[in-house]
Parts: sequence; structure tokens; C-alpha cells
Amino acid sequence: MRTYILRRLLQIVPTVLMITLVVFVMMQSIPGDPVVALLGDAYTEEDAIKMREQYGLDRSVAVQYLIWLGRLVQGDWGTSVLSGQPVLKEVLIRLPVTIELIILAMVVALMIAIPAAIIGALRQNRWQDYTATSAALVGISIPEFFLGVLLLLLFSFGLKGLLPSSGWVYLPGTCPTIICNSGVWGNLQHVLMPAIALGVARAALLTRLLRASMLEVIRTEYVTSARAKGLGEWKVVFKHGLKNALIPTVTVMGLQISFLIGGAIVIETLFALPGLGTFGIDAIIARDYPQVQGFALLTACAFVVMNLVVDLTYSLLDPRIRYGG
Amino acid sequence: MAHHRDANDPKPRSLGAAALREADFPIPTGVLPADARSRRTESPTMQALRRLRRSTTALIGLGIVVALLLVAALADVLAPQSPIVSDQTQTFRLPSAEHPMGTDQLGRDMLSRVIHGSRVSLAVGVSSVLLALFVGVPMGMIAGFYGGRVDTIVMRVMDLILAFPVYLLAIIIMVIFTPTAGWLGTIKVIGAIAIVRIPIYARLVRGSVLSIKEKEYIEACRALGQRGPSILLRHVLPNSLAPVIVATTLGIGTAIIVEATLSFLGLGTQPPTPSWGWDLKANVAFIQANAWLTIFPGLAIFVTVLGFNLFGDGLRDALDPRLK
Repeated sequence: MRTYILRRLLQIVPTVLMITLVVFVMMQSIPGDPVVALLGDAYTEEDAIKMREQYGLDRSVAVQYLIWLGRLVQGDWGTSVLSGQPVLKEVLIRLPVTIELIILAMVVALMIAIPAAIIGALRQNRWQDYTATSAALVGISIPEFFLGVLLLLLFSFGLKGLLPSSGWVYLPGTCPTIICNSGVWGNLQHVLMPAIALGVARAALLTRLLRASMLEVIRTEYVTSARAKGLGEWKVVFKHGLKNALIPTVTVMGLQISFLIGGAIVIETLFALPGLGTFGIDAIIARDYPQVQGFALLTACAFVVMNLVVDLTYSLLDPRIRYGG
Repeated sequence: MAHHRDANDPKPRSLGAAALREADFPIPTGVLPADARSRRTESPTMQALRRLRRSTTALIGLGIVVALLLVAALADVLAPQSPIVSDQTQTFRLPSAEHPMGTDQLGRDMLSRVIHGSRVSLAVGVSSVLLALFVGVPMGMIAGFYGGRVDTIVMRVMDLILAFPVYLLAIIIMVIFTPTAGWLGTIKVIGAIAIVRIPIYARLVRGSVLSIKEKEYIEACRALGQRGPSILLRHVLPNSLAPVIVATTLGIGTAIIVEATLSFLGLGTQPPTPSWGWDLKANVAFIQANAWLTIFPGLAIFVTVLGFNLFGDGLRDALDPRLK
């Protein structure tokens, strides 16, 4: 197991390098001369040349990439134009909000998908199954932000402000500044609607996948023999059925996480949550490119780490993975 | 219990169903069960069409898709007013006989905007998937068929794209392209969505090519002295199409959601071009007093995506009954 984890960790290195390359290309493609922007009104030809030398901008693109990469590794991610703060510090403050949203959305998705898939598979082609599969089809077809709008209308405006429509209350201990709202209950109130809006679409897809693999698993001989030896239906479904049905589902989790991260960006924008998504979108609108760069880098790296976690979970579920390729 | 379910299953692993996939695999008579022999006169395409016609979900989906295509094509005739020209005397009107979906903050008729918005949605949804298909399918076929170094290079490039979350990469590409209004802006969105979708088709096709190239009929082609490209085009391609067709239909639904999301973030279709995602975003600010302004564009996206998903599901069941 230890060698497997080590090998997967090593595989991350080229992926992260590729990510930095794409982000570097993005930064290079931005129109305008950064030196002109930095010097502003105080622009003189000599200062410009000095500055180009200082930042390595007179070197070849490959060298520029290496210099840029070196600065990233040293923790110099540039300074945000919007806030005047170091970008790395800012993104690390934003990250916990996005992670909390994604984890809770995942919990919502599993809480809907697992019962729905089990009911669908055990009652195949009956009304319970049709209800579950139709609901899943509707869930797949509804964009997260529209579901968010519907939830807003229902819970924030319809039910006399039952849940707050925007803003954030930090979990105790995660507060980034000296004064800010924190509290578990307030946090839950603020995260509930965004998490549901984000989780439902994932739940729909998970239900379909899990139902299909449950249908296959409950027809296998080991499930028949589990039943034959007199195991209770509950144990057969969860211990023999669900655990094996989860394996192919976890495989597609990478793509799920990909859409979860994207969905989080949109949902944060809709509910005005102070996460990575709003950080990035605000920066793009304001053309604050150091901040855009920090957002793109950290989001992509978060995706890599989450994929790693999924792979490791997968190897815990299915021991064959550890020894094979 | 198990017996009961098997009886419902549409012949999961009979030879007849297997031959359906291997389209031009000659069926030797006398070996097959009676029902498969009687089906021999019908081509696999006809069989699929027959099954498709029986599927209610597929027909409902097809109905929605055709209706939407008509709305998009006839938008100029159907829309009661211009979707762009504003009228300051008519702002925030409630839905009425004159304005069935009300008017927005610039006094523009919402119904006309929703009708015209179908054009961008469908154009981006369909073209981006077709573009991804035209790049991804040949890549996957070549990678899977020739293997070796070609395979490694192609799949590394695909891995690079997949190393990014879908929306993040689409956002980065749109930052590079810089979103603009008009048809040029639409082309940029199509390009961005196509790029992020290419690996899906490349991987799908590569997977089926890998299994098809080991089949006996491909070995037979080689034994007959046919060349690689000819085998690839005439035998491998047709047999790997079924999953691609299904993924295409379902992919259009996803592409429409991605376009709406990009526009919602302000990075897709730019005003004044009417777009459902942008309209939803622009009207969220007035949600408390004018909820319908966000509900109608949202419903339009939902119904469109639902149509493609219903049709795609039906198509999958028709093309490959074993996947049901």
C-alpha cells in the first residue's frame, strides 16, 4: 500500500507541471505589456529596460517560464490588484469555504443517490424505480445555478427569509480576519442551500450509475449465495451489493469532482460566498491577472489532490488495484 | 426473484444481440436461434429505428428537440418583438397577454428574448459537440488502432486536458480568447467547449477500437490483405459508432449547460446577443420582486437539456439493448 501511495504521489509531479504550463500560456496570452502597466504614468524607456531585466522579461519564453515557476515554488504568487494582498495568502483564505461547499455537496449527493439507487435496483421496472429514474433524469437536466435560483425563491424569499440568500458565516476557528461572523449554526444556514443546489445534479448522475451497477451486482452468484446461506436482505444489500456496486461508481468520481469544482464556482457566484470561485470570477471581470493566475493554479491543483484522494479510496474499496497497474 | 428479472431482460447475451454490434459480421445460418435468423433480413439500423419508434421517452425527447430547432429557425417570425431594442416605458411588466413572459429592466419582451436565446444555445450545443467529435474520434481511432508511441502521445495530450476541471479549463480558454458579442463571440464559446469535450470522445472511441481490433473479422480483413486505413474506415469505424452516437446526443445536453454556465458567469455569449444563461444572471439582481425574469430563461435551458437527454437515453436503449 505504501509503495502504491508513493507512486501515485510521484505521478502528480508531471500533472502539476503541465498545469503550470497551461496557466503560464494563459498569462502570456493576455494582451498588453506588463511593464507599461506596472510603471504607469512614471514610464520612461530606461526604467522599462531596467524592469524587464529585473523580472527576466528580456529573456526567452522558456527561461521566463522557469523564472516564473521558481517564484511560484518559493511562494511568490504575485500581488492582487484588487486587494493589494499577496495572492497566495488570499487564495489560502478562500480555499476552506470552497472545500466545505464541495464536501457538503458530496454528502448531499450520496444521501440522495444511495437510497434512490437501492430502491430503483431492488424494485426494477416498478413505480418506485420509475420515480427514482425519472427524478434522476430531471436532476441531470437542470443546471446548478437554476436550481439555486429556485431554492432562493423558495427558502429566502418565499418562506419569509428562512435561509439567507447570500453571504457567509465562518466556521469557528477558520475566520481569516480579526473581526468576522463565526458560528456553527450560522455557517450551516449559509451553506445549506448552496450545497443542495450543487449536490442534486451530482446525486442524479450517481443514482443512474449506482442503480445500473447495483442491478448487475445483485444478479451475481455471490449475492445469490449470500441470500442462500440465510443472510438478512439488509446485510445482502449493503455488505455484498452496495460495497461492490460502489467500485465502478468511484471510477467515474474524477469526472464528478471536475463538475463539482466548476459547479462550486457558479454556485459561489450566485450565493455570493467568499470562496475560490468568486475570487476567480471577480478577478476575471476586474482583469486582475495575478489573482486570476492564483485562482487557476490553486483550483487545478485542488482537483489533482481530490483525484488522488479518490484513487486512494478506490484502492481501499478494491484491493486488486493496489497490486495491479 | 432473480428468475423473474431475467425474464424481463431483452435477451442480454444472445448471439443475435451481439451480431447487432458487429454490424457487418456475416451471420452463418443454421447456427443461430430461430428468432435471430428471422431478424436477419432486417439491417441493424432498421432494428434500432424500430426499437426507437417504440420508445416513448425517445419520442418525447425527439419531439422537444425538433420543436426547439423549429423555434430557433423561425425565431424572427415567432418572436413578437425585437429581443434587443429596449423600451424604457415598458420596464418590469408582469406577464400579460401582450408580454406573456413579462419585460426586463430595459423593457425588452422576455418571450422574444427566450425565443431568440434558443439560437445561441442550440448552435453552441450542437456545433461544439460536432467539432469535438471531428477531432476526438479520429484521434481515438488512430491511438487505439496503431497503439505504441502514437497512442502515448495522443493520450498524454488528452490527459493534459483532463487534468483541469471542465469549467475551469473552459474559463481559462475564454480568458485567452476574450469573450465578445456577435457571431465571433459564439464561435469562441464553441471552440472553448469543443476543446474541453475532445478527450471524452477520444477515450470512448479508443476504448471500443481496442476491443474491436482483436475481433476475428478484423483478423480476417488482415488475412485478406486489406490495408490499415481501409480496415479502420470500413470495419472499425462503423462498429465503434453506437456508443459515440449516444454520447453525442447526451453531450449536446451537457454542452448547452456549459454554455449557459459560461454565459451566467459573464464569460460566454455577450450582450446584446440574447442568451438564456446571461439573461438569468442579469435578472438575478431583481429576483425578489421580478422572479419570472429568472424562471423563464432557466426553464428554457432545463427543457432543452431534458429533450436531448430523453432522446439520448432512448437512443442508447435502441442501439444497444444490453446497456439498459
